[in-house]
Amino acid sequence: MSIWSTMLKNKQKKRKNDNVRQHNDPQKPEEQPIQRNYEDNVSRIKGELGNSTDLLFREYQIGDHKGTIVYVDGLANGQLINDFFNETLLNSGFNGNQDPFQFLIEKAAGLGNFQFATEWNQVFDSFLSGNTLFFLDGYNQAINVETKGWDKRSISEPSTQLSIGGPKDSFTETIRTNTALIRRRIKSPNLWLESMKLGTVAQTDIAIMYIKGIANEKIIGEVKERLNQINIDAVMAEGYIEQLFEDQTWTPFPTTHHSERPDVIASHLLEGRIAILVDGTPFVITVPAIFAQFFQAPDDYYARFDISTSLRILRILAFLIALMGPALYIAATTFHQEMIPTTLAIAIASQRENVPFPAFIEALIMEVTFEILREAGLRLPRAVGQAVSIVGALVIGQAAVQAGIVSPIMVIVVSITAIANFSTPTFMMAIAARLIRFAMMALATFLGLYGIVLGLMFMSIHLCALRSFGIPYMMPIAPFNAQNQQDIFIRYPIWAMKYRPKFISKGNLVRAGDNQKPMPPKQEDSQDSKGES
Amino acid sequence: MENAKIKASQMFVLVVLFEMGSSILVGLGGSARQDAWISILLGLAGGILVFFIYYRLFKYYPELPLTSYLQKITGKWIGRILALFYVVYFMYVATRVLRDFGELLTTTIYTATPLVVINSLMILTIIYGIHKGFEVIARIGELYFAIIYFMAISGMILVTGSGLIHFENIRPMLENGMKPVLRTFLKETLVFPFGEMIVFTMLLPYLNNPKKVKIACIGGMGLAGINIAITAIVNVAVLGPDLFVRSNFPLLTTIGKIQLANFIERLDVFFMLYLVIGGFFKITIFYYAAVIGAADLFKLKSHQKLNFPIGFVILLASLMIASNFAEHIEEGLNVVTIYLSWPFQIIIPLFLLVIAFFRNRKKQPKQQSNQQHNQQSSQS
Amino acid sequence: MMRKTMMIFLLIGLFMPILSACWNQKELTDLAFVMAMGIDKGENRRFQVSFQIVIPGNVASGQGGGGGGHGLPIAVYTSSGDTITEAARRATQKISRRLYYAHTNLIAVSEEVAKDGLLDILDALDRDPEFRTTTEIVVARKTSAEKLVSALANLDKLPVNKVTKEIESTEALLGENMRVNIDEFINGLISHGREPITNGYKISGNQNMSGKSDDLKNTRSEAVLSSSGLAIFRNGKLEGWIDREKARGVVWIMDKVKSTSINIDWNGKKNAITMAPIRSKTKVAVNIKQGKPVVNVAIEFEGWISEANTTVDLTDPKVIEKIDKSVANEIEKQIQSTITEVQKKKSDIFGFGERIHRKNPKLWKKIKGNWNERFAELEVNVKVDSFTRREGIRTKPFWYDINQ
Repeated sequence: MSIWSTMLKNKQKKRKNDNVRQHNDPQKPEEQPIQRNYEDNVSRIKGELGNSTDLLFREYQIGDHKGTIVYVDGLANGQLINDFFNETLLNSGFNGNQDPFQFLIEKAAGLGNFQFATEWNQVFDSFLSGNTLFFLDGYNQAINVETKGWDKRSISEPSTQLSIGGPKDSFTETIRTNTALIRRRIKSPNLWLESMKLGTVAQTDIAIMYIKGIANEKIIGEVKERLNQINIDAVMAEGYIEQLFEDQTWTPFPTTHHSERPDVIASHLLEGRIAILVDGTPFVITVPAIFAQFFQAPDDYYARFDISTSLRILRILAFLIALMGPALYIAATTFHQEMIPTTLAIAIASQRENVPFPAFIEALIMEVTFEILREAGLRLPRAVGQAVSIVGALVIGQAAVQAGIVSPIMVIVVSITAIANFSTPTFMMAIAARLIRFAMMALATFLGLYGIVLGLMFMSIHLCALRSFGIPYMMPIAPFNAQNQQDIFIRYPIWAMKYRPKFISKGNLVRAGDNQKPMPPKQEDSQDSKGES
Repeated sequence: MENAKIKASQMFVLVVLFEMGSSILVGLGGSARQDAWISILLGLAGGILVFFIYYRLFKYYPELPLTSYLQKITGKWIGRILALFYVVYFMYVATRVLRDFGELLTTTIYTATPLVVINSLMILTIIYGIHKGFEVIARIGELYFAIIYFMAISGMILVTGSGLIHFENIRPMLENGMKPVLRTFLKETLVFPFGEMIVFTMLLPYLNNPKKVKIACIGGMGLAGINIAITAIVNVAVLGPDLFVRSNFPLLTTIGKIQLANFIERLDVFFMLYLVIGGFFKITIFYYAAVIGAADLFKLKSHQKLNFPIGFVILLASLMIASNFAEHIEEGLNVVTIYLSWPFQIIIPLFLLVIAFFRNRKKQPKQQSNQQHNQQSSQS
Repeated sequence: MMRKTMMIFLLIGLFMPILSACWNQKELTDLAFVMAMGIDKGENRRFQVSFQIVIPGNVASGQGGGGGGHGLPIAVYTSSGDTITEAARRATQKISRRLYYAHTNLIAVSEEVAKDGLLDILDALDRDPEFRTTTEIVVARKTSAEKLVSALANLDKLPVNKVTKEIESTEALLGENMRVNIDEFINGLISHGREPITNGYKISGNQNMSGKSDDLKNTRSEAVLSSSGLAIFRNGKLEGWIDREKARGVVWIMDKVKSTSINIDWNGKKNAITMAPIRSKTKVAVNIKQGKPVVNVAIEFEGWISEANTTVDLTDPKVIEKIDKSVANEIEKQIQSTITEVQKKKSDIFGFGERIHRKNPKLWKKIKGNWNERFAELEVNVKVDSFTRREGIRTKPFWYDINQ
């Protein structure tokens, strides 16, 4: 209960601060009807858009009524409109008996879904999102036909979240394609989708998806509430929304999850999470997010449980190395030399004999160099990137050691740390580890292992205090919940994962039937008779 | 009081961590030599009896912390003074633990580092934890409970694997009769750590299900007591009674003896890991009790305002209460137990219970309706 | 307000690494790893302490840092003082780095110092948190501790490893030494019912060659470190030595024998059959007879025949039985002679007193006062059960074929 009370408190606080009316409200402040005179209408459109050249008008005549269609080149399917215009509208065969507007409606219905627009706001909204508008002189209504058809990227393999098994498709920049990708996986009438527009200027399409009856209504309400409070000129990508509606800003840890894999999002939806799709980005956000979730890779569910459990523990270990690798090295070599076995201590001492820097500076040089290389590698064109990595490998690997700037053991430590960092499946979590690593290094320099332990203590207090949409971030671990341990450190066999996580989902918790463990009939006959069966 | 609720399992974990906190580090019951474990188990039994006093008091006032019902039982002014004493007592114990903790680090690993640095960093971490609230503290408890158990089990395996355990060291049992064991029980193990459960009278109202108080607290005490006794047995078995008594921190020496496969040795630093965790919880709970007690006493709306000042006082006091470790230990063994622990942990609560008993018998009908009211409110 | 104070602390925290330079932080390259310490009697001051310091660049192989192991692996510095700490501090006049004891594996004490008593040395080692409790302690026999500490070894790069590993391997394979670390030594020292023992070490051959790099150029080093007997202490002072088979007896009684060899005679041929233990278990029990303690040592011994240099039919169970008996007799003899030897020295190194203490604390209180005297007259019974478990991969020895 207390979760909700704190959440509600936050909400009220926000409400007080933010009383600005949203532009995506259905009722807009200035309601202006369309004129009967179509010349006026056309000039108004032209005026409002400043004669933008990608705005196309094509005129036609039905009986003695002049008319025009308006659409934005590139957004609407130009080919389709052209064919329609030439074949249907120009050879209309209007015989004058009918009402010309009725006639137009019949024709337009052939082009696609249509609605009527009576107000200017509707007009602008529709053709700016790729629709075509039919104006006819003497009627204060326009026909708004859906002709969206801009050039879009086709569905390709995921580029950031790779997996060995499982589906190979990924989201694209088009929201419609993305919703379809999810719907294709969950063919349930309970998969609900709500749309809205965000960004006072850009008017980006946003969709909220959840499975009715599985997702927690309170969290759905909270998501909508927080989305409604966003008042910004444009939402360019999922990161905008994440940063605008997360629970806690002052944290390096991600409290929302995003993925470009439809299978991941679908499984999140099935666990009762809520997906937020943003037009124009191939990443879909899901909330609420918990800490353990960031160590779950899609592969975990496609391999058998023993394998995926060991891999997951390996990943957690790698995360710890990425977090503390260099810090532990510094602590061991500058404070706790007794910890190192004698032979190793002497080996390290002999390597460090000619290194002019203290261990912390040495580690810092190497870490910063590596981070620079990594950042540069991200930005550089692919062809040059190769060269950078070679130069980098030479610089930080070979030459620095030979020049006596760093010791070989330091190179090993930094490389292991770097590689361990890459094994975290989620980039946002990996980057948090990178950031905290430097703090840990400073603490280790300052007070050795005591510093590191205090740092970890600080970090765990922070983690335990975090929330994602009212759900404690460390959820099934602290507060501990025995029933929901099925997918945390140990991934239970699929047949044993009987329930959805209780802390996320509300109501419908059972996900699998009883006795799902495969029980093939016992093979009583021996190998010999196998051929006969 | 903060608006927080925790589960029974979280309370259990907090009790375990709190009881084990610093008692595992110092050679608890050392004056009973190889019979330390007996006096620890006696201490546990006595501690549970004493806890029943607190439990009865809690039953009378299930929604109030100690500082509030003190005022109800003994009247406004005496109650306030007593409550103030309790707040100061909690602060003082937090100070002592912090000092213990700092001394351990400065004598073993950080020999050249000033005590003030070590202590202030610790208190800073604790301030942060308390700033985040009691629910968060309970959650970290759960997180570190698992880590401590993992360390304890692996430590046990390592000690056994290095062939260090010589059970013959524990004999002869009760060499000098029951006397030294009983003396240790009364002077040490009863009041430290088991009598320190008094601090939980401040925290029991946070439990979401008041029916589970008994099982959570006594279960936690039992588990912690058994763990402490096992540690004492292992320490004596590894070190022998002489070295056990001679060491400031026997567990540290025990761990230092681990030598396995010519590679796993000198694991002293892992002891330190335990130390920070155990010290953290012990100080945090006393400190937190002091903070909410003071807030309750002075009728402050939010205890957060007191968080930092009290932390600062504890930090300064921890540096000033003794000029050296010997003095600090001397105070702890001979002054605190008799003049502080016994009155605050046993005598005053006993008096309170007696008064509360008579008061509540007099007002039987009213109390009943009160209780009903309380039940209703807790149900809703 | 909270946030502000937090920020202040954060700022202080950020500056801490810079300010903390002179606390406990110590770079590896600023440390002199003391591998072994030798304690002799000093001329002007009470102790002369030698520090064996490792030169990392010369020990570790590989291209890193120091240019390969060409020079000597260790350097020895000597200084003197009235206490160990003073000597250690005086040594800093000669050594550029901070002496670091966490990796010290060996404390060597000269016979002279041992005879005067070790009580004044041990507290320094016991108290300092930097010292390992597992550091071994040996007595330099017929040589100075300084020479022992400066000796080089052919096989091991670090001479200290030679000593510690050697004790380990002789304990395991010969059974005439046993590892004794400082803690155990001190425990023996303070216990009323036990006296400490430790290993003796000597330099055999030309002592003057010890510590010279030229000596390493010979395949047969002229000065060789070798273990030599067990040193018996009483009241913290060296009382005497126990050697060879008798030392083995001590190790038997302490139940530390892992392997050794026992020769027995067969059909008139001396040392014809050799037996090596696989497992051995020693149980020491204390009985009280008429107010007097009696110690029973029972050894259960399982072994295999590692040599049979005579015609003996090892396939015959009766023969095996006979062998078992004579092995048992042989061991009994060895142990009995050990016990008489030790009793002569009036030092209860076996810890029989402790066992009596555990068995009967009241009796112990009475006899505790002059235990060592009583120990000399203690009745000790030894009983050995020997079992031959296997006889290697041959049945009858080839002697049969030769004699046919």
